[in-house]
Amino acid sequence: MRGLLAVIALDLKRLWTDRVRLIVGLIQPLLYLFVLGSGLGANSLMGGGRYLAYIYPGVLGLSLLFTSVFAAMLIVFDRQVGFLKAILVAPVPRPAIGKVLSGAIQALVPAVVLLVFMPLLGIHPSYLRFLGLLGAMAMAAITFSALGVATAARFKSTTVFPIISNAVLLPMFFLSGALYPLADVPHWLKILAHFDPVAYAVDLMRGALLGTLFFPLWLSIGVLAGFIIVLTWLATRVFASGEDA
Amino acid sequence: MSELHAAIETHGLVKNYDKVEALRGVDLMVNVGEMFALLGPNGAGKTTLFSILATLRKPTAGSATVLGRDVVRERSAVRQHMGIVFQEPALEQKLSVRDNLLLMGLFYGLGLKAARARTGEILENLGLTDIATRQAQKLSGGQKRKLELARSMVPNPDILFLDEATLGLDVDARRSFWAQVRQFVRSGRTVFFTTHYMEEAEVADRIALIDKGQIIALGKPSELKQRIGGGVILLATEDDPRAFTWLTEQGYKPEKSERGILLVSAEPAAILPTLLTSMPVKTLRAEVHEPSLEDVFLTLTGKALDSSEAMPAKPAFTIGAAA
Repeated sequence: MRGLLAVIALDLKRLWTDRVRLIVGLIQPLLYLFVLGSGLGANSLMGGGRYLAYIYPGVLGLSLLFTSVFAAMLIVFDRQVGFLKAILVAPVPRPAIGKVLSGAIQALVPAVVLLVFMPLLGIHPSYLRFLGLLGAMAMAAITFSALGVATAARFKSTTVFPIISNAVLLPMFFLSGALYPLADVPHWLKILAHFDPVAYAVDLMRGALLGTLFFPLWLSIGVLAGFIIVLTWLATRVFASGEDA
Repeated sequence: MSELHAAIETHGLVKNYDKVEALRGVDLMVNVGEMFALLGPNGAGKTTLFSILATLRKPTAGSATVLGRDVVRERSAVRQHMGIVFQEPALEQKLSVRDNLLLMGLFYGLGLKAARARTGEILENLGLTDIATRQAQKLSGGQKRKLELARSMVPNPDILFLDEATLGLDVDARRSFWAQVRQFVRSGRTVFFTTHYMEEAEVADRIALIDKGQIIALGKPSELKQRIGGGVILLATEDDPRAFTWLTEQGYKPEKSERGILLVSAEPAAILPTLLTSMPVKTLRAEVHEPSLEDVFLTLTGKALDSSEAMPAKPAFTIGAAA
């Protein structure tokens, strides 16, 4: 347990020494929320204000997704410079779990900062809904972090990893219904959304905050839990194989 | 620990990467309290063997134990008792010297208080207290290596693995590094190391020479040198390829090296005058010296170690100007 906490402590210490990463991490979601959201919202049947509130959980999802996956890029960097070996030879049982949790915590920091914008968008959730949102955010963060760690653990180049992740993450985000209701999209898009973990995470957050769900609650929780278990297991296997990976 | 004789033991260790056989049945025993060097050229299997012993890779076949524990089945127990200095920097560059050590203490399961105490102890022992608050990235090359060594000492290891640990350091920094390592060995613990520098390997109690995935020679440095006997003549001529061909035609077994032509002989001083007068090319420089580990390797394998920066053995005598 101490070893796992050490993995988390190391990454949080690094985040603290690299605060620019935190600030830059806020820019993209704010742009989506206030620039893209205002532009699209002006032409939305929902009306500008309601549209911004509607995409707000999607923007939280965007922030969590990109921050957690890019936090995992440190693994690739560490492997490239040799630092990962120091972690691998330490007697830490399943360091991948520590990496998943630390990535999730790193992703939650800017997402929690985004919560202060809720009143500006006219969102005033009850305490219960707010707690539900925090729970959904935590689950989303762990899922995305597990996705990042399981992927990053297999990469050896810091040049290739961001290219691949961007190529995968953006389609995942656009498919998720973060910016539009999945109920109104063509059938083929609905089918694709069923394979996208981001869609379940965003739906869970939207359900907690606004009370509207596209997927059944049990399905979203089940799918995200399944993703967490499978991806963390895959990441653990890669870490356990050391330099043979 | 007191009844354990073998710090490292391998039996028929094999490692394949697809179709490449990196290790082809390595049998090795390193005694507790021994300073043991592994020498070999690039691609010989050195790093693979090191990685398996350090629990970073699994063997394809065979077995290996470190301090009596299997490196695959008891990996975690092995890790608890070993310290490692890698060739590449394994430090978090943005953290201070103290924080790097502190975090390593936490990685090894120490509580925060114990990790702080251990960090203070190591900083003191290795003379790093003055730079404890400095970021790792702002240290000199020698200081970084010292910090790497300090990092490896955090778990208070019984065995220390050093992989080309002093590569790129100047002579003073290397000397200082090895002084700390020797202090570690004096406490009865084991050091297993690979190195580029022959003079570093000379301080080992025993050396294993590895080539093409197999141990080709093992023994004390003096024993290895005795294996080729006599001495070595190093010749630098106006036309080395021609001299090489001529020597081969005369029945000698010359070897090419970066510094000229090497000739191992039972009585080098006796044959040198004949060579100098008979060779069809002008000799610029001739040296006779005792065999070095480089010569041993060259004789056994017909190729040189990766020793471009290695110090040549001091010649017994030299004829001619520097080439």
